[in-house]
Amino acid sequence: MKSGITSDSFEKFVTIAGSIMNPSVQKFKDGGGKILGYTCSFVPEELIIAGGILPFRIRATGSESAGRADDYFESANICSLIRHTFGKVLNGEYDFIDGAVIGGGCDGNRHILDNWGKSPAKIEFLDRIFIPHASNELAAEYFLGQLSGLKSRIEDYFGVTVTDEKLWSAIRLCNEVRELQRELYGLRSSDNPPITGSETVAVIVAGSSMPKEEYRDDLKVLLAELRSAKVPDKKYAARVMIVGPGHDDTSMSDIVEELGGLVVNDLTCFGGKVIFGSVTEDGPDPLKAIADYQVLTRPFCPKNLGAHPVINKELFYKIKEFKVDGIIGQIFLCCDTWGGEVYILNKELRAAGIPLLRIEREYPADSSGQLRTRVQAFIETISGGAV
Amino acid sequence: MIDLFSQLKLQAGKSLGTLCLDPQNASPGPFVLGNGDFFIEIPVAYGCSYSDLTLTGANGTALPDASELIDKAIETGVESRMCTALKVACYYLEAGLVRKPDLIITSSSCCDAMDTLGNLLNGYKPWANVPKFRMDAPHSFDDESYRYMGKQLRNAVTFMEDVVGRKMEWDRLREVCVLSNKQDQLLLEFQELKKAVPCPANPDFSRLGFAYDRWTGERVSPQLTDWLEQLVSATEERVKAGLGIEGIHEKVRFLWQDLAGSWPPGLLWGRLQQELGAIAIMDYMSYGTLTPIDLSSEEALFTSLGKRFLLEDPMNRQALHTTDFFCNDILQIVNDFKCDAVIMPAHIGHRDTNSRLKVVREMCREKGIPCLVIGMDIWDKRYMTPDTAFDRIKTFFETTGLI
Ligand code: SF4
Ligand code: SF4
Repeated sequence: MKSGITSDSFEKFVTIAGSIMNPSVQKFKDGGGKILGYTCSFVPEELIIAGGILPFRIRATGSESAGRADDYFESANICSLIRHTFGKVLNGEYDFIDGAVIGGGCDGNRHILDNWGKSPAKIEFLDRIFIPHASNELAAEYFLGQLSGLKSRIEDYFGVTVTDEKLWSAIRLCNEVRELQRELYGLRSSDNPPITGSETVAVIVAGSSMPKEEYRDDLKVLLAELRSAKVPDKKYAARVMIVGPGHDDTSMSDIVEELGGLVVNDLTCFGGKVIFGSVTEDGPDPLKAIADYQVLTRPFCPKNLGAHPVINKELFYKIKEFKVDGIIGQIFLCCDTWGGEVYILNKELRAAGIPLLRIEREYPADSSGQLRTRVQAFIETISGGAV
Repeated sequence: MIDLFSQLKLQAGKSLGTLCLDPQNASPGPFVLGNGDFFIEIPVAYGCSYSDLTLTGANGTALPDASELIDKAIETGVESRMCTALKVACYYLEAGLVRKPDLIITSSSCCDAMDTLGNLLNGYKPWANVPKFRMDAPHSFDDESYRYMGKQLRNAVTFMEDVVGRKMEWDRLREVCVLSNKQDQLLLEFQELKKAVPCPANPDFSRLGFAYDRWTGERVSPQLTDWLEQLVSATEERVKAGLGIEGIHEKVRFLWQDLAGSWPPGLLWGRLQQELGAIAIMDYMSYGTLTPIDLSSEEALFTSLGKRFLLEDPMNRQALHTTDFFCNDILQIVNDFKCDAVIMPAHIGHRDTNSRLKVVREMCREKGIPCLVIGMDIWDKRYMTPDTAFDRIKTFFETTGLI
């Protein structure tokens, strides 16, 4: 479903989100800039930006086959998001990056690092940080140690100096972007939002795939257009929220919106989880501020044993604020982490009388088959047959 | 030797993992429940009982009605391809079959599924008021990580003290650790003896010994020390006499690089021994590199426990770390235990192993080590029957000329 946004900024976001390499990145590279790929939202973009390097979130967008990645990751037992993402690496679609940092979240994800290093897709700077799986002061302190190690390695390899001043400036930039993204999300609380769920996914995904300042400026232009947009009255069959991993493409939102629903919010690894909260902008140590933000403020990865209450609180807040009629809990097959989280949420949602459609699927969404039928039935149910 | 085996099995059967299901097992002290390994030295010294819900689920898959239990577990709606042992554990919890603990101590550890169980335990509504403590196992083996893990274990003790209102007796903890070190030493001696050709004792001894030693309160009982001493001396005698496993003519020694799972040993390993003379000389669970608990100071004690947690707990050792580390262990074992082949069961729940099969295969090819990858559910024999697994292994040995 399209809302009729016309700005060039928006078109640019759609192009960037729909592919891997894109003109903005190319321009940055042509100007001699270095690009560092990363796999998990716990890898702080702030630290990379402070080194004058462009952070690029590695994703699987558009992949229809995991291809040779299935030699490395047993297809029946490893989540297809990982396999399809690594498939893109093996296809050479990430050859433009100068290095990669793997955030060791789930079991499969952390093995991207080992397999990458042993694959023909050679990359010189291949690094990893451990993502804490508890949310407390000690874990934040340990994560700070991880970040400070990563900072030194980035400095050594790329020949840059990451000063506190540069870190604070990167923190302010990323906070500003998150704030603008939250404003974008906020627009969807209205009955007739000026932007759809699918369109929002494109805007957010683009945010981790291009130079941050350029993104901020484009996003401001888009928001200005959206704020003053005259939105025609539309009737949506149901307001839906998506919860789960991935969401690095618009496929699931497209299905919901083609069937007359509207995706009004999400808690996913590329969306609602990334734009949550802000890093504190003062204090003695900017790296500590980042570590505290990641481990104490937004412990959103359900792999984290302390994350559930935070996820739950945010979920129910959004359900109320965005007048959500039903939740789609989408997980990829073999994802134990989100499988468990959606299982717990299901019980809580049921107790609160909020419908949940639990979908286990492979990465490429089959938009014509069973998936579509199930989403359709769900929308019909929650809309009281208004489709 | 057979007597020794039955003795331990009997003891182990009484306490292994059923603690949290059977109220009869309730001991007078506080009851601590967790999702995975926790140092049994701590609850033992503190005078409380500890049960590991993962192990309970795994044991459930060995019960006579396992198939029915697994089917019920699948119906709970947890992720459909999650490890079967964990599904059963979730089922026990959700069906209200687990005894309410006084404290819950969870940790992230060897696999995503165990973390999921940890989350389920922490979020289990009927136990909302049970005090909880969470630990975080990093995937690194460096001093900083050992200290981090050690501090968390120390904090776990403080947590227990705060909840129970009683202090840990440090002398008692040291006493328990001394005994524990002694038992580990004996296990390592037994492991050394297994390097002899022919293998002097059924490898089931070390699997059972390890399980018993790691997970039950018996860890510190003089009984277990006695049993291990007898095992070592009986095995030494056999090595001196050049004897192999009773009744077996050893032809092939292989590394089974996964857990044994819950199949009755006779169904696969027993048959492999009996019919083919093929011995699972070493496995993922039995391979121990146990450094003694350092008793020089309180901090050293916890840091060394932290190291053991990350590096020496067999499952954490094999699952948490890098593929290079995993491969080095394979080579080390093949070398030390004179293995003719590597068998990778590639249990469906083991996301880590299933992410490294290509690398392992290539390494084995390069080193000239025959390697078979199976792809099975070690907790549900309906996924691949023991007969099918036996046939595949037999064909593999035949085609590689090992038998
Ligand atoms: S979907 Fe699950 S298994 Fe896949 S990368 Fe994300 S957390 Fe890991
Ligand atoms: S068998 Fe493997 S997957 Fe299953 S609980 Fe144990 S470590 Fe996890």
